[in-house]
Amino acid sequence: MEVDRKEALRYLGYGRQEADGQTLQLLEEVAAELERSSSPKSIYQEYACKVQGDRVEVGALSVTSSSLARNLEGCVRAVVLAATIGRAADLMIKRYSVSNLAKAAIAQAAGAAYIESYVDEAEDEIRTGAHGRGLYLRPRFSPGYGDFPLECQKDIFAMLECSKRIGVTLTEGNLMMPSKSVTALIGLAPQEPEGCPLHACSQCAHTGCGFRREEG
Amino acid sequence: MNFKEQLGKKLLFFDGAMGTLLQKQGLKPGELPEIWNITKEEIILNIHKRYLEAGADIIKANTFGINPFKMEGTGYTCEELTKKGIGLVKRAIAETGKEAYTALDIGSLGKLLEPLGDLPFEKAYEAFCPMCIAGEQAGADLCLIETMNDTYEMKAAVLAAKEHTSLPVVATMVFDESGKLLTGADMEAAVAMLEGLRVDAIGLNCGFGPDVMKGFLPKLREICSLPLVLNPNAGLPVVVDGKACFQVEPGVFAIVMKEIAQEGVSVLGGCCGTTPSHIQALVEACKGMEPLAVTDKNRSVVSSYTHAVAFGDRPRIIGERINPTGKPRFKQALREKDMEYIYREALAQQDRGAHILDVNVGLPEIDEVGMMREAVAGLQGITGLPLQIDTSDGAAMEAAMRLYNGKPLVNSVNGKQESMDTVFPLVAKYGGMVVCLTLDEGGIPSTAEGRIKIAEKIIAEAAKYGIGKKDLLIDTLAMTISTGQENAQATLDALEYVRRKLGIHTVLGVSNISFGLPQREKINTAFFTIALSKGLSAGIVNPGSDAMMAAYYASCALNGSDSQCAGYIRRYSEQEGQPQPLPAGTGELTLYEAVVKGLSESAGQAAKKELQGKDALSVIDGSLIPALDDVGQGFEKKTVFLPQLLMSAEAAKAGFDAIKEHLKAKGGASASKGTVVIATVKGDIHDIGKNIVKVLLENYGFQVIDLGKDVPPEAVLEAAKEHQARLVGLSALMTTTVANMEATIRLLKKELPGCKVMVGGAVLTQTYADMIGADFYSKDAMGSVRYANTLFAGAPA
Repeated sequence: MEVDRKEALRYLGYGRQEADGQTLQLLEEVAAELERSSSPKSIYQEYACKVQGDRVEVGALSVTSSSLARNLEGCVRAVVLAATIGRAADLMIKRYSVSNLAKAAIAQAAGAAYIESYVDEAEDEIRTGAHGRGLYLRPRFSPGYGDFPLECQKDIFAMLECSKRIGVTLTEGNLMMPSKSVTALIGLAPQEPEGCPLHACSQCAHTGCGFRREEG
Repeated sequence: MNFKEQLGKKLLFFDGAMGTLLQKQGLKPGELPEIWNITKEEIILNIHKRYLEAGADIIKANTFGINPFKMEGTGYTCEELTKKGIGLVKRAIAETGKEAYTALDIGSLGKLLEPLGDLPFEKAYEAFCPMCIAGEQAGADLCLIETMNDTYEMKAAVLAAKEHTSLPVVATMVFDESGKLLTGADMEAAVAMLEGLRVDAIGLNCGFGPDVMKGFLPKLREICSLPLVLNPNAGLPVVVDGKACFQVEPGVFAIVMKEIAQEGVSVLGGCCGTTPSHIQALVEACKGMEPLAVTDKNRSVVSSYTHAVAFGDRPRIIGERINPTGKPRFKQALREKDMEYIYREALAQQDRGAHILDVNVGLPEIDEVGMMREAVAGLQGITGLPLQIDTSDGAAMEAAMRLYNGKPLVNSVNGKQESMDTVFPLVAKYGGMVVCLTLDEGGIPSTAEGRIKIAEKIIAEAAKYGIGKKDLLIDTLAMTISTGQENAQATLDALEYVRRKLGIHTVLGVSNISFGLPQREKINTAFFTIALSKGLSAGIVNPGSDAMMAAYYASCALNGSDSQCAGYIRRYSEQEGQPQPLPAGTGELTLYEAVVKGLSESAGQAAKKELQGKDALSVIDGSLIPALDDVGQGFEKKTVFLPQLLMSAEAAKAGFDAIKEHLKAKGGASASKGTVVIATVKGDIHDIGKNIVKVLLENYGFQVIDLGKDVPPEAVLEAAKEHQARLVGLSALMTTTVANMEATIRLLKKELPGCKVMVGGAVLTQTYADMIGADFYSKDAMGSVRYANTLFAGAPA
């Protein structure tokens, strides 16, 4: 797996603009270092999924969230997933914050792109398994999206034993460390969703975000 | 016989999994199994009994997950659950009439320690204490610290066990397929640290089945001088129906485990997925076997949180630059607590090829203990090189050794009784190799014989503490030849004797040899080369000196320690055309151009050049600020992007540094436009945005007090008061931490009504900022500069 350079540049604020040679060179150095020193790990488990009104139950996780309920509507099963690329990105950001701030910003962006690609890969694996059973994936939905409370991180961490299995921990404020980590619920429905699957951006309330993708 | 006496002398068998069996009895995912010690004690008791019947010699109490964080809000205390857990094993032993040891089982806290996480080392240590104390009180025979994937957390647990109990400590960790911990530490680093901490046995558990773990054995046996423990899973977990299952059958498990015993592991058992049948098969398969003898591998090694550095045939470079002696700029950094300056020195030496970094942060007028703590904690967050703790203050030495994530090098002990009485107990407790100076109450002997005698005295004293020769580095003291030319010979003769006859590694502070002479590097390189040929194991030198590094690489190529001259070729083959040409068109850049192009080196040079013809102010106002403004405007118009903005900021910084140096040489000081306190609010640990703001504000001449991340409101207020700051900048990344931002603003507005607050961060918007009472919302780093400029221009500073 490689760091998606294009995506990293998007995180750095380059829209359709070409990046300059210096930046591209730094990105190449940082991405290569990240690929060399990261150790991506993931864990996921599938549970029965029940949605009643705004109430969602997935395994031991039970939560009231209208946006999650909308996302999982019609799903019979749901996968709970946690993934991380490990601590290398955080260490690089720390180190480069001292020695070369441009590289620190690039490591931040490259790390974000890397974990996204890694979760995409895990999702593909889940998709293949689900299709075999006639089930289809909903877009992944993470604590903190919409009104899906960050507090639920605790339940997810207990269900998957994240700290023991993949070395991801929670801070007091329920933030994940290493920071380049993702937890998500992925609904499995017996039917393909009608119309185009929407990108998670369309469900985010932060409409002024510079990184918002309007189309899926 | 007690556990310690039997350890390594006969094969001992741990029991297998607890959690796996409890799940079969209805334990739900996420439910805390330790609570069953009280609510369903018969089930726990029965599992212990089944393992005893299966032949286990050591039963792990059901205490693995007990810690103050997990027990919070459960209604149970760590003490009662631990005592009950130990009690159940003892009861099972009594009721079955078997002979077995009771292990207090300690697992990970599930929290990440600083510097990456938010749990301070001492808090982790404190969290482990209640279980250790209660475990011993309840009658545990040993303490098993297991399933650890972080050496730092492991160290906290080992210290808690050692300081509060007299129990033997067995430490097992989880490595991944590449033989590394999740922290990136390799086995050598972990083993070096644990041996230094004087645990009783070391091993692996969880993660894999016996077949994969067997693959780690050759390495482990090569480096470890303690009895080995292996508690694998019953294979890799396979998910069936959303549940993790372990599928290696008892028979297969036992066959591989027997081979593992034959290869030298003397304590064997199981982790996830193993059952009494697995343990029974294992015990039967190994019947009648004797363990291989445990031998001292005699390795001289220090370690960091990532890797170990061994002293052997290949000499090592210890970077000497983190030391205030004779360096006014460094002293200033220490007085101003400018940690970044120190960190940059560290990274520069790392880039230049240092293997270990000496850390000396002592000045008479500062709190050395506090500074040492901060330096060690900070340095091990940004560099993976092992540290050499350099201080004559026993308290600072202990503080650093305690906080250090690895096995440190300690600089230094000498032949004075007082010194040995201070340093050796610390080395015996925390582990470490130690630099031994061959001087004592009588001073520095002028002859080689005199120094050798002191070395022998130190060796004998160290042995009393169980510190072997392998953990000593003898320094036969380089003394300047400007006061006596025979000095060099005495040092070298003693060095050669210590290395070749006593078989102990050696070290020298090389550059002392030339003190008082002109062009010292010339003498230093020659002396270094000779010392290396006499058997010098490590030189404390300046890695920034090309000549010294060349002497080092050439010596290694010549003495054969650099196999196939690979190190030499790698370092010098690409430098043949040097000095390296600058990128096209950068030959003669003006300061303005260098900043716009983001070229730090050129900017520094250009600034120096401009200062020859202009005063400092016109260089700043005429070149630096216009360049920054242009780049900043480009950034706002989206023709320049963040990396370029930051490259320009760094280049401008290089320009400012040149100006500051120039002013200082002329006896002046640079004026600040005003003071800004900045912080990432409590609960938030993402601080890169704040760091960017800091650099830009500094570029524009503001003095920035950076409080770091996860900063409580009170600390922000205190700093704002102390520095009489008129502007405070706060950042928050998450919606959840914006509440803490609001609390901070409320406190500031109440206590310091005149102080303005600007805010920024991913989730913030103008509306949000207004809602929480901020004076200014900055959508990016340039916005904060603009606001600060307006604010401070509008009123007298």
